[in-house]
Amino acid sequence: MSHRVYLDHNASTPVHPEVVAEMLPYFDERFGNPSSVHGFGREAREGLDTARERIARFLGTRPEEIVFTSGGTESDNLGVKGLAWAKGSGHLIASRVEHHAVLRACQWLETQGFEVTYVAVDGHGAVDPDDVRRAIRPDTLAISIMHANSEVGTIQPVRAIGAIARERNIPFHVDAVQTFGKVAFDVSACGIDMLSFSGHKIYGPKGVAGFWVRKGTRLQSLQHGGDHERRRRAGTENVAGIVGFGKAVELRSRELKAEGERLTALRDRLWEGVRARVPDVRLNGHPTERLPGTANFSYRGVESESIVLGLDLKGIGVSAGSACTAGSVEPSYVLVAMGLPIDWAMGAVRSSLGRSTTAEDIDYVIESVEPIVRKLRAAMPVGA
Amino acid sequence: MRYSPTLLDHFLNPRNAGLMREPDGTGVDEFEGCGDLARFFLRVREGRVSEARFQTYGCGPTIAAASAASEKVVGRPVEELLNLKPQEVEEAVDGLPDDRKHAADVVAGALRAAALDALRRRGGEA
Repeated sequence: MSHRVYLDHNASTPVHPEVVAEMLPYFDERFGNPSSVHGFGREAREGLDTARERIARFLGTRPEEIVFTSGGTESDNLGVKGLAWAKGSGHLIASRVEHHAVLRACQWLETQGFEVTYVAVDGHGAVDPDDVRRAIRPDTLAISIMHANSEVGTIQPVRAIGAIARERNIPFHVDAVQTFGKVAFDVSACGIDMLSFSGHKIYGPKGVAGFWVRKGTRLQSLQHGGDHERRRRAGTENVAGIVGFGKAVELRSRELKAEGERLTALRDRLWEGVRARVPDVRLNGHPTERLPGTANFSYRGVESESIVLGLDLKGIGVSAGSACTAGSVEPSYVLVAMGLPIDWAMGAVRSSLGRSTTAEDIDYVIESVEPIVRKLRAAMPVGA
Repeated sequence: MRYSPTLLDHFLNPRNAGLMREPDGTGVDEFEGCGDLARFFLRVREGRVSEARFQTYGCGPTIAAASAASEKVVGRPVEELLNLKPQEVEEAVDGLPDDRKHAADVVAGALRAAALDALRRRGGEA
């Protein structure tokens, strides 16, 4: 296989070589426990502090408001359950297209006596802030809305929702795993109280993520133990991972704008190229208010996994919008929430671009996808 | 790679895909779990399958299994296909992963239905 193209950056990214270099000393030379008072411990602590400061600077927040966790899922759980448990009972608001880490945490809270309103999205996958306003009840204890959806990339109006949350004095959690380090925004100006973000989506290591919580927000920690992370997350910190995370954020802050523009152009090149060659294809997600590198297309009447397999055999890594496992297939809940008809939803394929993506890669994908879809359609009875 | 070279070859270059004019028998089977569907068309000469064509909606293994089976059944007595087992279809693609066994089920089911249809039609004509 000559040409290999990775277009699944929303799933994970390769660790940047400068990140690896910064992490390595923390596996052997600076291996101490950051909670230890001796020199070995202090060396590890310095690594943590630097990472915390870098991330706080990037977000425009205070370092002591950053909590390190094991991943986006833990951060999301901390946001949703942490707020719910701090209150004890009441009502939450989330959207229907949240990541499973928020959605299933909410569903579990429902089994524990909490009530949740799942607000709808429009055909582009966007939440209407007025729907959030209408869902608010006197006992609403939290609003949790993602910044951008991982499947279709639609960016939510978090500033408008944050203003509503602020006006009603309701804590607002934002799952920013897909936008952090990709889209510039000011958490303080958006009326956000908690933010979840992850390292491995931005060329940092897996198993490390962050959680920003505005000072004064009442939050119950999920795990109990030592006094780590200002008693908000017990457990010895993943020092090397956190150091790498901090470096990854620093690197992203330098290239965020230029890279965003470059990926937006490539993303649009992909859509224009595919649209010109393949009939019966549609773009899922908002046409403009969308993550720079996310391109989700539906090929009507074709089963998405077949396209993924066809592209895989050409060395191209993309992801399917629906997955058939053990003989049962569910179209993506995100696409269903957006109101996509089933014959379109079943044929959704997501490409997510990143640092390594070139115009040549995009042209190779455009050339490859046309014959795959044509052959699949020839064998398929739908529309025949 | 979780799929055999034979399966991938049939997936990339499906044989006998598409409609057949005036078939002697047609049959459909659908796997309800995931909506995978196969439709077979048989041409029968002197009691044996002379040509098989298919249409299918499903994941790669279903397309490959239909293609491989469409070659495998040519020359065989139609009666024999009434008892076609999914294992035989699976063998034609050199095996299927556990979570894709339904590809063989749906293809075998459609071929059995097509064989039954062909025999019924022949009986009706007689």
